[in-house]
Amino acid sequence: MTEVNTSIITCQNLWQVFGTNADTALSDALSQSEGNSDTAATLLRDKGFIPAVQDVTMSVGVGELFVIMGLSGSGKSTLVRCMSQLLPSTTGDILIEGENVVSASKKRLIELRRHKMGMVFQHFGLFPHMSVLENVAYPLKVKGVGSKQRRSRAAEVITLVGLEGREDSFPRELSGGQRQRVGIARSLSVNPDIWFLDEPFSALDPLIRRQLQDEFLKLQATLNKTIVFITHDINEALKLADRIAIMRDGKIVQIGTPTDIVLNPVDDYVREFSNDVAKGQHAKVSSVMLSGENPTTAEDPGLTTTMTLDTALARCVNLYNPVPVRDETGNIVGNVRPADLATALQAEDL
Amino acid sequence: MSADNQATGLLHLSAGSRAAFVTLLIGALCLTIEPFAPWMVSWSAAWQLPLTDWVGTSLTWLLDSIKPAARAFSAFMNYPMNWANQLLVGTPWPIIIGVVTALGWYLGGITMAALGLIGLSFVLASGYWVEGMNTLALIAVSVPLALILGGLLGILANEQPRIRSALQTVLDVMQTVPTFAYLTPILLLFGFGPVVGLIASAIYAAPPMARNVMLGLERVDSEVKEAAVMSGGTRFQQLFQVEIPSARTQIMVGVNQSLMAGLSMVIIAAVIGGFNDIGWEVLLTMRKAQFGQALLAGSVIVVFAVIIDRMSATLATERKHYDHRVTFGILLITALGALLFWSKVPNPSDISLLNPVAAFVDSEMSEFIRTNGAWLESFKNSAVYYVLLPLRIGLDDAVLTFTWGMNWTASMSYWLFAGSAIVGGLLALRGQVTAGLLVIIFVGVLETGIAELPWLFVLVATAALAWVASGARLAIVSTGLLLTILVSGLWDRALLSLYLSGAAVLACAVLGGLLGLLCAVSPLAWKIIRPICDMLQTIPLFVFLIPVLMIFQIGEFSALLAIIAYAIVPMIRYTRHGLINTPDDLIEAAIANGATKAQILRDVRAPYAAPTILVGLNQTILFAFAMLVIAALIGTTGLGQSIYLALGKADVGLGISAGAAMAILAMIADRIVQGFAKERRIALGLQ
Repeated sequence: MTEVNTSIITCQNLWQVFGTNADTALSDALSQSEGNSDTAATLLRDKGFIPAVQDVTMSVGVGELFVIMGLSGSGKSTLVRCMSQLLPSTTGDILIEGENVVSASKKRLIELRRHKMGMVFQHFGLFPHMSVLENVAYPLKVKGVGSKQRRSRAAEVITLVGLEGREDSFPRELSGGQRQRVGIARSLSVNPDIWFLDEPFSALDPLIRRQLQDEFLKLQATLNKTIVFITHDINEALKLADRIAIMRDGKIVQIGTPTDIVLNPVDDYVREFSNDVAKGQHAKVSSVMLSGENPTTAEDPGLTTTMTLDTALARCVNLYNPVPVRDETGNIVGNVRPADLATALQAEDL
Repeated sequence: MSADNQATGLLHLSAGSRAAFVTLLIGALCLTIEPFAPWMVSWSAAWQLPLTDWVGTSLTWLLDSIKPAARAFSAFMNYPMNWANQLLVGTPWPIIIGVVTALGWYLGGITMAALGLIGLSFVLASGYWVEGMNTLALIAVSVPLALILGGLLGILANEQPRIRSALQTVLDVMQTVPTFAYLTPILLLFGFGPVVGLIASAIYAAPPMARNVMLGLERVDSEVKEAAVMSGGTRFQQLFQVEIPSARTQIMVGVNQSLMAGLSMVIIAAVIGGFNDIGWEVLLTMRKAQFGQALLAGSVIVVFAVIIDRMSATLATERKHYDHRVTFGILLITALGALLFWSKVPNPSDISLLNPVAAFVDSEMSEFIRTNGAWLESFKNSAVYYVLLPLRIGLDDAVLTFTWGMNWTASMSYWLFAGSAIVGGLLALRGQVTAGLLVIIFVGVLETGIAELPWLFVLVATAALAWVASGARLAIVSTGLLLTILVSGLWDRALLSLYLSGAAVLACAVLGGLLGLLCAVSPLAWKIIRPICDMLQTIPLFVFLIPVLMIFQIGEFSALLAIIAYAIVPMIRYTRHGLINTPDDLIEAAIANGATKAQILRDVRAPYAAPTILVGLNQTILFAFAMLVIAALIGTTGLGQSIYLALGKADVGLGISAGAAMAILAMIADRIVQGFAKERRIALGLQ
């Protein structure tokens, strides 16, 4: 794969099985099933083990916003905890910038967390006995940064998340949205390269959630970090993600761009998710474009590859013949039959 | 009924009915063959093993081998104790009162400051200032020791899961072993003197701290822990900068409980002390029947308990900030006052403002006894002759001409059994088979007397109960543990303890249950009863003995009253709590269905409260066992008495064996009741 070269996090055949002596049980199950992971997982479940992450292989590219989505209990939080090594995985490798963190020493892990990783938690995980400023400055404190320097850095990130003026408040005095801003600020205080967010907005009201999502996107546009973002909300995933991995029962069932997920779901489980979604708002013209052929018709409604299907369809209401599609620079790169646009939107109803 | 019929009949019965049926069969069997095989009723002395002696020899050997180290430690502990002593006794009393008042303000504002000022002024006026300070000095050394020990153990257990489960078991056992039982080996190890009380108190006060530290650290939100990890903290940083501060409230609850346990033990340890502290003063005055003075000294203990409890409890609540200027102001006034009147401060031992009160109490008391003596005596006698004695030795022996006006005859037994069989049969016909069987069993026990129950019957009944409550495992373990008591020769005494605690628990369950119900229905009743409950829970066990002793003199009845007074509190609290805290939607549904208040109480609140009430009953049982040993001071028979005697003779074997027997009884009762509570919770979908 070419992707591997630019990838910053790579998981290979990663398993996380809960239960006593899970590692021997897993290797037994794998040898019994001759390496078939589904059979092995069934065997483990029958014995009372819980395979929370099952044979996951995936990678996240530098600067990518990678969303892991699934229902509760699908193993997404466990997977991100394996990546950050909050949970030691049962077997498999996790490479971070080429370094296998599974075999890393405790000291090295602390090192990585102090410099490379930040994490945001669903229920914020704020330290109840520390003020906002102390919470945000804590990662710097354990690193040994001097008091003055860490106060100024903490104030900086607090401003970044829009909480200036609340530095001396305690977590219990803040609203849910404000608390998560503190969580975000804390995870950014050491300026990590890799940013893990475990359902950061799920515990918030819909309105606050949307507001924070927008701010998050703006923040990411300036920071450009590598992000692993966990959510159970398909709309959130589609709105934020560069790529989405969909998990079920510990397995990744599909990895793809938002358009892929919406237009080409691999199975009913994924289709169920995309049913909730107004497809036309997410799928792009490029997904139904036929490349290369120059249409002979004179009509040109001015479609581009990055246009959503809804917009494209609106421009082609009265058209029946193929129309040209341009890329960002204005060159014609292909054509689209208006009928295909409509078909793509209705695909799921078949 | 043929054997076949029984077998098919049994198949249709519930587990409870089957267990009760087997128990009944064994009981009947014991009664019928008693004349032919007396060994089935009373365990033959020939089958006893000298377990007590073995325990004694091996423990003495063990203790002797570590004695030099222990004695060195106790010599070492003398230093901090003497320092604390000199500090507290040597400092002029106005300064101490001022400092405590300032501390009160700092911790809890005007209420706590007033509590400190008034409380300590009372101690001063009582004339027990020096004794009180001596006791405080013991606590000032023992409790910090206990906090460090308990805190370290708790942290260690939190870090190492293997240590955790081991520690949990040890703590569970320690909780059930009666306090006096600790004292005998400590006495042997550390010698006589106040240091023994100090060490006993430190050991006794450590478990609550360890428990709360463990609980607190466990309850820290997992995301908070993870956030600390992801911040890149080392294990040490995670623990001391995040987890322990987050667990603060729970740890402070531990500090509070630890202080109270330490105080309680220091007072109890006075029994062996002969050291000039307040516990000894209570004991001394009680022995001399100077009840006014005993009450006064006891009140000093209560005042200490209340001050320490309420002030340390503020640590576990959210911190409010009280104006520091007031704190410093009080300290300044104190210092100035002390300087100005340095030479004129009266010696606290010369102060005896409350002596007239004590004398007044004494004279009033004797007056009260003189006028009401007959009535009190008859009350006590009827309780003893018509309730306690039959429970203890059975109707067959307790019903005598000079108390009941007749002698029990064999035919009366037959009529009684026949009557109970009819009642039981009727209940069974109405579908309540278990209840019917239990009625017959209960009557059988009443006829025989708890202390004279056949051992086989007790074993089978316990096993049956344990089996119904929690399953075969508990049944086997309980039987095994009871067998060790049986072969150790402590069986008769164990039955006596069982009888007295059983009587107390029964009374607590009925009385406490009713009071709890009353408090649940009437907020006014709760307003009155709640402070009384708070008070009863704060008072060290020892003090309960004074008032009952004043009115009813030494004896089993007084002991029973003291046990009831102490053990009834959880029953009241949990009953009320369970009945009050029914989920609103259940109540709404019941109202919507047209239920009256009484119907809601009976059909919704009570079933929902059952597991909570069972937890209360469980606490009551443990409290009763704890008090049983203390009550041995004023005359009970049974294991408590043995433990107390062993203490006097420094007989480690007897002390530990009797203590272990007591712990076994308490533990079995605990597990059985918890089993029932768990079953109820599962049935209600709460677990």
